[in-house]
Amino acid sequence: MRSGASSASLAITDLRKDFGGTAAVDGISIDVPAGSFLVLLGPSGCGKTTTLRMLAGLENPTGGEIRFGDRVIARGDGTELVAPAEREAGLVFQSYALWPHKTVRQNIEWPLTVAKWSRADRRSRGDEVLSLLAIAELADRYPGEISGGQQQRVAIARMIAPQPKVLLFDEPLSNLDARLRVETRGELMRVHRSTGATSVYVTHDQVEAMTMATHIALMKDGRIEQFGTPRELLESPRTAFAATFIGTPPANIVECRVHDGRLRAYGVDCGAAPSTSVAADGDADGVVRAMYRASSLAASEEATGPGVVAATFADQVPMADRWVIGVDLPDGTRAHVSRDTPVGLLPGDGLGVRLPSEPDAYFDAAGERLDTGENR
Amino acid sequence: MTTAPAPRRTTVGRTAARVRTTLRQPTVVLGAGTLLVLAVLVVAPLAGLVNTTLMDGNREAWTDVFASPMSENLLWRPMSNSVLLGTATAVGSTVIGGFLAWVVVMTRIPGRGVLGLLATIPFALPSFALALAWESVFRNDLIGGSTGILVNLGIGVPDWLAWGPVPIAATLTAHYFSLSFMLIAAALASVNGDLMEAAELTGASTLRVARDIALPVVAPAVVSGALLAFAEGVSNFVTPALLGLPVRFHTLSTRLYGAISTGDVSRGYVLSIVLILVAAMIMYASTRITGGRRSFATITGKGGRRRGIELGVWGRPVAAAAWVLVTFTTVVPGLVLVLSSLTRRTNDFASGLTLHYWIGDSDPALAQGQRGILNNPQILQATWNTVLLGVTVAVCAGVLGLLVSYVITRSNGPRWLPGTLGVVSFVPFLIPGIALGAAFIAQFGAPIGPLPSLYGTFAILVLAGVAATIPFSVRSGTSALSQVSRDVEESAVLAGAGLFRRIGAVIAPLTARGLFTGGVLVFVQMVRDLSLVVLLATPAMPVLAVLTYQYSSENFTQSANAVTVVIAVISVSATILARRFEGAAQPWNSNS
Repeated sequence: MRSGASSASLAITDLRKDFGGTAAVDGISIDVPAGSFLVLLGPSGCGKTTTLRMLAGLENPTGGEIRFGDRVIARGDGTELVAPAEREAGLVFQSYALWPHKTVRQNIEWPLTVAKWSRADRRSRGDEVLSLLAIAELADRYPGEISGGQQQRVAIARMIAPQPKVLLFDEPLSNLDARLRVETRGELMRVHRSTGATSVYVTHDQVEAMTMATHIALMKDGRIEQFGTPRELLESPRTAFAATFIGTPPANIVECRVHDGRLRAYGVDCGAAPSTSVAADGDADGVVRAMYRASSLAASEEATGPGVVAATFADQVPMADRWVIGVDLPDGTRAHVSRDTPVGLLPGDGLGVRLPSEPDAYFDAAGERLDTGENR
Repeated sequence: MTTAPAPRRTTVGRTAARVRTTLRQPTVVLGAGTLLVLAVLVVAPLAGLVNTTLMDGNREAWTDVFASPMSENLLWRPMSNSVLLGTATAVGSTVIGGFLAWVVVMTRIPGRGVLGLLATIPFALPSFALALAWESVFRNDLIGGSTGILVNLGIGVPDWLAWGPVPIAATLTAHYFSLSFMLIAAALASVNGDLMEAAELTGASTLRVARDIALPVVAPAVVSGALLAFAEGVSNFVTPALLGLPVRFHTLSTRLYGAISTGDVSRGYVLSIVLILVAAMIMYASTRITGGRRSFATITGKGGRRRGIELGVWGRPVAAAAWVLVTFTTVVPGLVLVLSSLTRRTNDFASGLTLHYWIGDSDPALAQGQRGILNNPQILQATWNTVLLGVTVAVCAGVLGLLVSYVITRSNGPRWLPGTLGVVSFVPFLIPGIALGAAFIAQFGAPIGPLPSLYGTFAILVLAGVAATIPFSVRSGTSALSQVSRDVEESAVLAGAGLFRRIGAVIAPLTARGLFTGGVLVFVQMVRDLSLVVLLATPAMPVLAVLTYQYSSENFTQSANAVTVVIAVISVSATILARRFEGAAQPWNSNS
């Protein structure tokens, strides 16, 4: 059942998956237009892979609904479950899952045989994807004889050969070395653009997400923390978790106590408390989590002074023509300060971290953003 | 974000839709199919067994067996004999098997590799080989007929040594110690050498280290092996039949056989039920102790990480004891069987050696005119039947085992399906062969509706064989499937391959090696088994093992021994072949 369009929009509504008593996916809803590159981002155990498998049809939801375009693919109450092969979706496994007893060409062409393509069509499509992924010379080798990077290309070629409308990727780059990872990222985006399909990509690496995605769904404990474009997540994180997960280096969260309308942390005044934090409880001694970007902080030689927190030097990393200094705050929290030049310190040496007059954002004790009415 | 509109369905409609989508899952259909097959193979015969004894006209069998003047002879004394034999076998196997395991794994006696290999052979042999060898050596003239080698040499053999509980226990132990050896040696080999050495560094004596470090690891294997040996000792048929029947030493299994073969069928069924209950309880207890995981794999020489204990002055006696034990349970019986098949007059070397019993033509002066076994049409027919039976059962059990283990490991359907399949496919393991044979007669020996009676047919042998070997082939299928990662199959699902297509194009090629090995071992079990087929084979449908038993009963010792040698050769070489094949390379596996 092939429709004419080359890709389909994706609509997930209240999707749930329960295993025994625990909910791996706890009611998520996502809507992306056709042709997007959606990244499901999050730490291990957040439910992103389970969601992907439900999109593929390898797991069945226990609640909610999935649609590709205007076609209902799966319903949690069991009234609709389209078989995986009929969803016009393809999946690249984290382990590639190539059939070890078939050659590269057979791996690519067998799904077409199952789908009853004619021999001529199979051959020509096989040649097409082999050259698209630049693996034509490997056609008659076995998966056990080629490198990891090459196996990955075979897995991708196998996935796109039947011309699916939805491409699913399960952490495909995690088995590659660092340099190959960067190269292959570009490859994947090229494949995505040339097929015009909608892609859903699962990863825990926020750099990959920020590079490749048109939309990111940041997940935690089976729920969506925040959904938006990469820029939205970076510039306007809605939770403390999002603030510390996204960004290189990630933003710093400092736990402050509210004292007479002002914030204090580590014995230092951090600025005025946002009005909403006081109004919420009526209790003026609450906790506010202040967010500081690495570029908002400064390192100072003096560990004391107004607005300066004493800290211990841990390490420094050159990054994008700047230097990111890692320091340990008095209670052991790691913070990052970004500056033009490195500091000449050894691990364990003391230094000061100068806070700006105001944090870049405020979050409450539970991690939810406190809206001060300003946009930062 | 708009919520999807709920489909307008009634509760009934929704349930029907849910059932429909469940049924569309092929593993559910497969699971239901295999469950049905297993029900016919396993549940039906057992049910038929119980049912027949409860039918009108048969119910007196229960009182006959349990509460009549015959009970003493029918049930109580045979049962106590069975228990006695079981206990003796358990004790003997554990002591000998444990001793040898300790020698092979923990000491530095030279040649212990060969010792280990020889110690695994008795389990690959048919269990009656040792009984026949014993008879050839120790038989005296208590019941007439020919006498054994010792008597023919002029050495008198007392009755208690030639017949009854002593020889039975000795031969059973000589067969089953091999099983205890394999289990205990595997457990000992798994004791991390570092742990032992760390203990020795503290200054603890060898004995203390053995007691406090090695023993706790080994204890479950010891107990499990003992319980298995006990259960097998209780249910074994052929050894008590050969060495006990002539002096009216009965066990449950021989009484059972006697009842059915003389027409007291219902009493035989009742005895079968008793035997099943006794054996099943013991086997089940043994499985629970090892947590259900038990491997009959032999030691492949893994280890060598340990330096081994230096025995010093004890080295010689211990080595001597080990070699004596092993030689007298493998090499000597083999030699006895071969040589005695060559004597002109039974077991009398003074009468000269001849190949008559192997390849001779009919001679009325010898063995009532029976031809040499390789010339004998009945034996050739039986050999053909046996090999065909072995292959058919291996193929059928292999396929069924793969399908069942596929459902058990990969099922996404209702939760009770894989569990039930697992239990039903495990049950035959608990049932003694002779009782299972009886159950098959009870269920399939009479016509069922339009289906004719299967008694005396090849089909009933195949069905019983598959039922008896299903636990093994399911386990072998599960272990072969575990080598195929789920991913590889899921990518075939995504390609749109249906269940049977996946099994054919992806699963079968990747599990072929493990399945073949499992199949060979099933073949071996069928070739050398006697208890299962003794009630099911008929003169029109002979099998080798049953022919051996008949020859022995009729005192055609040379022929019996010769056929036993043939069976033993097939059995041992097929086992070695299977182990060798496990190491064969596959073209797509560049690492092997």
